[in-house]
Amino acid sequence: MLDTVEKPAEDKSNRLGITRVGGQLISDYWEDLFTAREQGKQIVWYNGGALNPMFQAAGLAWCHGEAFAARLAAQRLEGPAQLAGAEYGYNAELCSYSRTHLGCSVLTLQGTEGDQTGVVGAHDQEVLAAKLPAPDFFVNNYAGCSTGQQWDGISYRVFGKKLPIFNISHPFLWGNKPDAGYLTGEEWEDASKFVAEQLRTLIGFLEQQTGRPFDYDALSESMTYIKRAAELRREGLDLCKAKPAPATFWDWIASVAPINFLPGDQALVDYFAAVRDEIQHRIDNGISAVKDERYRLYFDGIMNWNKLGFLSRKFAEYGVAVLAGRYIQNAFWQEPQLIDTTDPILGMAQHYLLCPTNHGAKTLEYLTLRDCEEYDLDGLVFHSTRTCRAFTGPQRLLAKSARDKLGIPSIFFEGDVADASFYKDGLLEGRLVAMLEAIDVRRRRGSLPAEFTGIA
Amino acid sequence: MTGHYLGVDLGSTTAKAVVVDGTGAMTGTSVVQMGAVSRKGMQRAIDAALGEAGIAEHDLTATVSTGYGRKLVPGRHQTYTEITCHALGTAALCPGVRLIIDIGGQDSKAITVDADGLVDEFAMNDRCASGTGRFYDVLARALECDIGTLGDLALRGRQDLEVSSMCATFAETEIVSMLAEGLPEADIAASVHRAIAGRTLALVAQVGRHAPVVMTGGVAQNPAAVRYLAKALDLNVTVPAYPQITGAYGAALLAVESSGRSPSDRDADTDRELFPHNHTGSEHSCADCDGTGAGKVHLGSSIGVRPS
Repeated sequence: MLDTVEKPAEDKSNRLGITRVGGQLISDYWEDLFTAREQGKQIVWYNGGALNPMFQAAGLAWCHGEAFAARLAAQRLEGPAQLAGAEYGYNAELCSYSRTHLGCSVLTLQGTEGDQTGVVGAHDQEVLAAKLPAPDFFVNNYAGCSTGQQWDGISYRVFGKKLPIFNISHPFLWGNKPDAGYLTGEEWEDASKFVAEQLRTLIGFLEQQTGRPFDYDALSESMTYIKRAAELRREGLDLCKAKPAPATFWDWIASVAPINFLPGDQALVDYFAAVRDEIQHRIDNGISAVKDERYRLYFDGIMNWNKLGFLSRKFAEYGVAVLAGRYIQNAFWQEPQLIDTTDPILGMAQHYLLCPTNHGAKTLEYLTLRDCEEYDLDGLVFHSTRTCRAFTGPQRLLAKSARDKLGIPSIFFEGDVADASFYKDGLLEGRLVAMLEAIDVRRRRGSLPAEFTGIA
Repeated sequence: MTGHYLGVDLGSTTAKAVVVDGTGAMTGTSVVQMGAVSRKGMQRAIDAALGEAGIAEHDLTATVSTGYGRKLVPGRHQTYTEITCHALGTAALCPGVRLIIDIGGQDSKAITVDADGLVDEFAMNDRCASGTGRFYDVLARALECDIGTLGDLALRGRQDLEVSSMCATFAETEIVSMLAEGLPEADIAASVHRAIAGRTLALVAQVGRHAPVVMTGGVAQNPAAVRYLAKALDLNVTVPAYPQITGAYGAALLAVESSGRSPSDRDADTDRELFPHNHTGSEHSCADCDGTGAGKVHLGSSIGVRPS
């Protein structure tokens, strides 16, 4: 009687094949960055909103700190950097993106100066320190997160306060004035102009650092490609409203890096055209992203980068298509119509303000409930990101709104963006299955609102 | 309806098994203490429940398992989470319940249920052992008393001492410090119980304060834990006669449901004799349930059973 052994669960996820091409583009980008110094390029380290078109136009190589931390986590290489960060004084309560990247700063600096850290093995130190080239200067472009806003300032200190730094300030979009709304109202207009003005000042700073005039035409060209890529991305996202879903949140997570920091060029447009085309092909041929889709859920939270494949399989195992999330629908050039390619500064400023941690509760509620309705979702999963309270702060309010206004349930699970130690699988699994059981029971007994019948 | 149905709740420290007949009436129950999730402990629990019911494994019509180790239970037809099973089992034992607080060996849960005993919302502790059975074990060890008498000790406490640490490990250090200061053990026990109740209140805050409240799980056998929780909630808290088996009972009822009966076959509110064996009811305070006598317990309308 005791010989029953659970067989490994069948992988019911069917990820888009094109994301492998995206992975190669990203890999090529980093390899190129790792040799930027040898190529004679100046290097800028930055965080927050996607300033890469500005750096591209200025002829710089750029390193987005969060992106590098996420990459290390996705490759399960974050440990040595975090250890170096801890040795320097950044403990596990600090944003794991920032302490991973700050650890890289420590290792990069020590690699440059030939020092040895006491706790990180020489091999790991060499691998990480040799790879990430030291910066020539910093730019901080973080909205809605106090850690993010200080992050580059701390890197500046790690590097001995010897390198220039430029900070961009972003007003929080409270959305509580009488005329305030998503993309409308006096607060929005004023904040947009305020950030745009700083971007124009940043251009002067970049000219100072590079010693050459800023190429506005190159910026327009780069933003033309990015705008088109963003439009294609939105088209692909909209196609995912189909039932069964042709692609999921996890596919879009795998395509975050390209839209976030790859150069604005034809290759970027081609990539997102291919993503959209593969999704359309799936719809035309009845191919679903999850075998036997039974539930459609929302995922609120920054990605748990070392769990991407694992989570996509886990949700699919239970017939769950995760289709929308604040980190996907409401981030990364998500409103391309705002970009005037002949003078893209204002539209860029507006996207930096549209960071998903930079909205008041009213706007977040509007965006979340809108996506739950448009994608016909059965429930929400909140990734309570342990070291990102900027993201988790409003989650209880959002769960309550979804319950009260749409009648759909939520669960929470703890994890983190780049620190696997905060995730415990049993907690997510137990809560997820309990929510699905509750949805099942209500479907059987007909007490779910008619619009949430799913496709069981 | 005939047949025998088994529900198994394989938890972190105990294995519970309940056998019911086709009407949902319990014919055998067992609770077995284990060191951790254990196949041997589970088998002992199953054997004991089957023995009490006077049947063998091959007599079973269906088995449903729940708990941490639910996938380890052999011969199961289906698995359900402990959330669903506790809600169903508790609603069957205590009709009308709206808020269930279940505190087991390793986790604590607050579950709100609708009028049919279906889960509305739930919240669980995260990885921290604070407020779980494990925490009470730590307290009993620090106070050098038996876990079974810990509650009585706490009820004798008078002074309200400040207990700031809710981490099981750090709380032990804090308790040891209090003992070193010569503070009365009963006051320490009472203060820790009060602090834990406050922690549970935070869990309840996530799902909303509803009444009637029923407490289940092993910790519900601790009278001080129940009293301080009631105080913190400012509500009456009732405890079913066998608070540890509600999950297994819910699983057994789901086994009845899973054996081919459609919801439309359900009877309306029906009284069934659920405890044919001795039912002392010494701590029993379910609404609408006498808790003693012939062991009559109301069976809520949410449970699909019909007279055999």
